Amino acid sequence: MSDAITPPEVPASEPPKQDALVTQVIVLGLGAEPYARKADCPAVQVSATQLLPLMTRLRDDAGLAFDMLTAHTVVDRLDANIFELVYYLYSLNHRKRLLVSSSIPRENPVVSTLTPVWKIAEFQEREAYDLFGIQYDNHPDLRRVFLEDDWKGFPLRKDYKDDFMLTHVIEEES
Amino acid sequence: MTVAISSLLNRIRVSDSASGPIDAKEYFINMGPQHPATHGVLRLMLKLEGETIREVIPVPGYIHRGIEKIGESVNYRQFVHLTDRMDYLSAMMNNWAVAMGVERATNTVMNDRIEYIRTIFAELERIQSHMLWWGVLGMDLGAFTPFLYGFRDREKITDIFEETVGCRLTMNYIQPGGLMADIHPNFVTRVKEAMAYAKPKIDEYEELLSGNVILQERTKNIGVLSGADAISLGVTGPPLRASGVAYDLRKIEPYGVYDKVEFRTAVGSVGDCWDRYWVRVEEMRQSIGIVEQLIDNIPEGKFMLMKPAKKIIIPEGVYYNAIETARGVLGMVIASDGKSDKPVRIHMRSPNYNNLWAVDSMTRGSRVGDLVANISSLDFVVPDIDR
Amino acid sequence: MGLTPEKETPFIERLPGANYMLTRMDQVINLARSNSLWPLTFGTSCCAIEMMMATGASRHDIARFGAEVARPSPRQADLLIIAGTIVKRMAPRLRTLYEQMAEPRYVIATGACTISGGPFIYQSYTTVRGADEIIPVDVYVPGCPPRPEGLFYGILTLQRMIKQGETVRRPGIRSKPVMSALPPNITMNDIEAEMESLLRQEADIDVEKARKERDWPTGLNH
Repeated sequence: MSDAITPPEVPASEPPKQDALVTQVIVLGLGAEPYARKADCPAVQVSATQLLPLMTRLRDDAGLAFDMLTAHTVVDRLDANIFELVYYLYSLNHRKRLLVSSSIPRENPVVSTLTPVWKIAEFQEREAYDLFGIQYDNHPDLRRVFLEDDWKGFPLRKDYKDDFMLTHVIEEES
Repeated sequence: MTVAISSLLNRIRVSDSASGPIDAKEYFINMGPQHPATHGVLRLMLKLEGETIREVIPVPGYIHRGIEKIGESVNYRQFVHLTDRMDYLSAMMNNWAVAMGVERATNTVMNDRIEYIRTIFAELERIQSHMLWWGVLGMDLGAFTPFLYGFRDREKITDIFEETVGCRLTMNYIQPGGLMADIHPNFVTRVKEAMAYAKPKIDEYEELLSGNVILQERTKNIGVLSGADAISLGVTGPPLRASGVAYDLRKIEPYGVYDKVEFRTAVGSVGDCWDRYWVRVEEMRQSIGIVEQLIDNIPEGKFMLMKPAKKIIIPEGVYYNAIETARGVLGMVIASDGKSDKPVRIHMRSPNYNNLWAVDSMTRGSRVGDLVANISSLDFVVPDIDR
Repeated sequence: MGLTPEKETPFIERLPGANYMLTRMDQVINLARSNSLWPLTFGTSCCAIEMMMATGASRHDIARFGAEVARPSPRQADLLIIAGTIVKRMAPRLRTLYEQMAEPRYVIATGACTISGGPFIYQSYTTVRGADEIIPVDVYVPGCPPRPEGLFYGILTLQRMIKQGETVRRPGIRSKPVMSALPPNITMNDIEAEMESLLRQEADIDVEKARKERDWPTGLNH
């Protein structure tokens, strides 16, 4: 471990700089807050109930115009007992990228769909349902995409167990 | 709040009843998973009326290997070789996406030699991928000769890969921190030879296939995808550019040494199969130009900057970086906890998965034969859809 | 390869007796079978590109081995080259494809994934660990993906097996697939030369030798 590549030290005294884009999103007043975790691009977080209004506004607002949902995925934070939904938006006009994050409880992972905003959301959400079991409310066609319809469980959850899967992990070199 | 979970059977019932009372003219047919025109194991359920397609329901998953799950139990160096097996025709670019993600997250700056070699290899990979696509498109549309030509010329580039990398298809060459090995002493001369060989071949391709009246009839105004639809459907790469949106990451967010080279982005106007065809043929020319500009100027330097024995630990956070592969934008989402050398979550935003869903809107109302042209012009690599 | 009596008269006249003729007929049929394998165009992932390289492209041209007629329909094919990972969802379809093929049918599994699961063996919830969990496999061709030469060497191995009448489904003869690893320093030319010599060797039947080897039933020995 001694010669491991460690993260560069960030001086603690330096106050975190807020990106202009983040400020622009927050002043919309739709419940967006600065992202609590670290990210390498401008990032906001929002509660699951405010997700759809915020996203609609982000697409329609002329100063933001996020017309592309580049990626949508889920991070299973087992220790915090939440699913973190991650949306990467891209604006072709302004050439800006924004991360929108939203956390939902693991027990009842329900969130509204973004299909009315971006067409591709329907399919990216289907993938998230298939692998994580996120329930998208008002989704037009929520069903498995990669796995068979009768598959039990959601394989990318951290606590997924399967008789078939070999969970052998190669021993770490100490 | 209750969320209804559907199934494939249900999905078919829904579109079956959409046409009203029982209509004897309409029926469903399966195309794939074992079908020569779907380039692998893609399954499409077609709702037909006679030979007119009313609806296409793509059913992927026949090669879903769970790469993202495996990625959570291996470290970043080990993950590189799994990305080779996703979009195996853009293996170098996939490797580069992982390498770039790790390097940006750990604030490691690569030297010029590494960036030059990576860019050259990525462009060579793009040329060979498009050559293969061109051959297969010809075969899908009923011309066998392009297949022979495309594969013949592709071999010249695979030979270059083999000399330096040792592999012909799955490279595992671009590593976090540099390259697996230095380039072969013959590399520069071989690449120059191959480019001198390939340049007139592209014109030959045009002569052989582009002017062909059958190809033109089967591609022009077939599978039209408007720019707005393409953006909303998350289509990227040549299909998006063919729809008139000049979105090329190599221009917009230059990585490697793309900011040091002159090249033009091919953009279509209609968004039909012909535009997608033309954009790719033009991209081959531009890529040859990029390689020719770079090949003489590879600077000296080290080829590996991180010691392979070192553990790579990415600081805590969520990282995203994207790369323009031969088929579109490959995005890497890495979530790290800052403690382990393995990611908490690694997600590949695959270009093919996002391009797949455009098939339905571009095919409705056309014939089954046009569907083959559409699939072929979108250039799917099915393991990249499923991952 | 048909056996027309007019053309093959000297060949047939040298055969001593009907019974002998029948047993040798097996060998003739095997020779014909082994040299006209029709592969099914079946590819799931990376190995399929190398298979296309081997079968379709002019550089490696599989036609030299009599296997160029790639069929998209399993009904017309007799060689299944499993090129690429098999996952749980694909497994029943692979089984169906295999069952739809007419007898005699042969299976070559190319690449690490179809042999053992390859790089997707651990932590994968879908990857089937080896195609022979689903269908009987005759020859393994290792590699990730195997070079076209490796595939040809695998086909050569299968051809040898067919000529000897040994495939995996003959009970009591062979229960495990043959691992056909390409030995080092073997080039396309070597494979081609070996193929040619095998053809020649099989075409000339040494009647005297065969008569000695064969343990004839009483009354039939001359």
